[in-house]
Amino acid sequence: MERVQRSAGVKLSWSSFVKHALLVCLSFVAVFPLYWMIATSLKTEGDVFSSSIIPLHATLQNYTQAWRAVPMFRMLSNSMVVAIVQTLVQLLTSVLAGYAFTRWEFRGSSLIYGLIALTWLVPFQVIMIPNYVAVSGFGWRDNLLGLIVPNLVSAFAVLQLYNAFKSYPKTLIEAARLDGASDWGLLWRTIVPNLKASIASIGILLFITAWNDYFWPLLVTTKLEHSTVQKGLQMFISSDGNMWGALMAATTITSLPVLIIYLLLQRQIIDSFVKGGLK
Amino acid sequence: MSYQAAGTARTASGSKLQSRRRILLRLGYFKPYLYLLPALVSIGFWIYKPLVQTFELSFYQWNLLPTSPKKFVGFDNFQHLFDLPDMGTALWNTVIYTVGVIPFSLLIPLIIAIATDNISKRARNVYRALIFLPMIMAPVAVSSVWRWIMHPTNGILNKLLATIFHPSEPIRFFTDEKWAIWSITFITGWKLIGFSTLIFSAAMTGINREYVEAARIDRASRFQIIWHIILPLLSPTILFMTMMSTLFASEWSFSYINVLTQGGPSNATTNIYYLLWTYGFQTFNIGASSAAAVVFFLGFGVLAFGFMKLTKKLSFFDN
Repeated sequence: MERVQRSAGVKLSWSSFVKHALLVCLSFVAVFPLYWMIATSLKTEGDVFSSSIIPLHATLQNYTQAWRAVPMFRMLSNSMVVAIVQTLVQLLTSVLAGYAFTRWEFRGSSLIYGLIALTWLVPFQVIMIPNYVAVSGFGWRDNLLGLIVPNLVSAFAVLQLYNAFKSYPKTLIEAARLDGASDWGLLWRTIVPNLKASIASIGILLFITAWNDYFWPLLVTTKLEHSTVQKGLQMFISSDGNMWGALMAATTITSLPVLIIYLLLQRQIIDSFVKGGLK
Repeated sequence: MSYQAAGTARTASGSKLQSRRRILLRLGYFKPYLYLLPALVSIGFWIYKPLVQTFELSFYQWNLLPTSPKKFVGFDNFQHLFDLPDMGTALWNTVIYTVGVIPFSLLIPLIIAIATDNISKRARNVYRALIFLPMIMAPVAVSSVWRWIMHPTNGILNKLLATIFHPSEPIRFFTDEKWAIWSITFITGWKLIGFSTLIFSAAMTGINREYVEAARIDRASRFQIIWHIILPLLSPTILFMTMMSTLFASEWSFSYINVLTQGGPSNATTNIYYLLWTYGFQTFNIGASSAAAVVFFLGFGVLAFGFMKLTKKLSFFDN
């Protein structure tokens, strides 16, 4: 069968050209805007409006300008704290939930599973007003707690971890139990260390999602010093002016953590995205 | 005798063990619920409770001020729902977004995935990494970059169009009523297209090659193979992507609308989710926002239910 394919491949080199042409086009469309963002951010004030593809007199002045225009450091650290705490707690809650679903058979398990799974059908805009009222009531507006606490569980993470736990061999669990491991010890000493890789890749997705989140910070924060970079960038965009170089520098700064993670771990990220679907 | 004694001793210790196990079982009965507690409390408080509250608020008139009283108005909000300003436009635009995203979420990715099947592994990984990139970008960052690229006078897109087509004036992508909604749809689609392509490619690699080989031996043409074998085998994935893109097209476009056009020019880009937002946090008509939220939530719920039924029906393929 392989030989058939290979000989077909040689014969149809025209079709292989078309394949690559299609994919090169798609790749170009996907990557060019990001290239253009970085290229513009490095251009001098005079060069920004020229359409030269390469920044000829590369400079970092746009970055210093963007850094001064908004409380960039504060917002970056806010984003970092929110994204990291949120990711860790979401991982914890979903590890516990996933374990409960795979370890025991209990009454109502499918109902509870359904309740968690169905949350993806609830759009943010449908529940935003009561949640806004609740956060205001706690006095958590303009407070990192208000950003983090409503997002302590990710249904996506629960479902993904449930699948990972299900794939863990039952015989190994039995063996650990015969060695006298408690349920709690079994989870943290046997299962979690063995599923480190899947837990980590789910964690990366959670981090990216938290970092990119924009609706919620938009609603519950008013001062930039208390907000995340996404909201800061939005303010930067609507303040307008013609500071395109600085805007692209700010955009690059806010995207940098995610881009760096992607550069290092793209294969895991793509795999778990494709496996996990959207949202 | 001694034999018998040993036997009774054994059963005695056995029943003791059994009762201990029973106690443990009874304790163990609560265990799964304890492990689920954090997730359940959080989801209950931040998703299901607000959902119920939205249903509740849809029967009241309120302006979001904690000090002002809520006035019960019964079904009033629902009765006037479709007479509300901009509702018709928003509904129509929602249809445009939903249909407009389909080429990016379904048609082009499907074509590319089928056309580029069995490409060498190394090349595949490079392409995958590149075309997936938009998916991980933040919507606000994406808006920012496209705002620059599609700027009427200084954006590179209009400069490019000017050198090719020499139009009388540059296209105002976000401020021209005719163009704005298509610009937003395009950006929504741009972010999705690589992801959908990868989903379909993954589904293609999952297809059992023997079907295709058997058809090839029977001298089926490439078109026949695609139409009668590949597409039916891909149908669960096609259905899944159709469902996602129908249910979420409007939600995905929300951030681009909010950052780039705020629903304008003259409501040309608003959609139902953006309408909920403006009712809720700009005109502070909480009753209208909640009533609309209830109607759309139920509508999309019915749609999702239908899709899931269909998926179940189709899942007999390729098992």
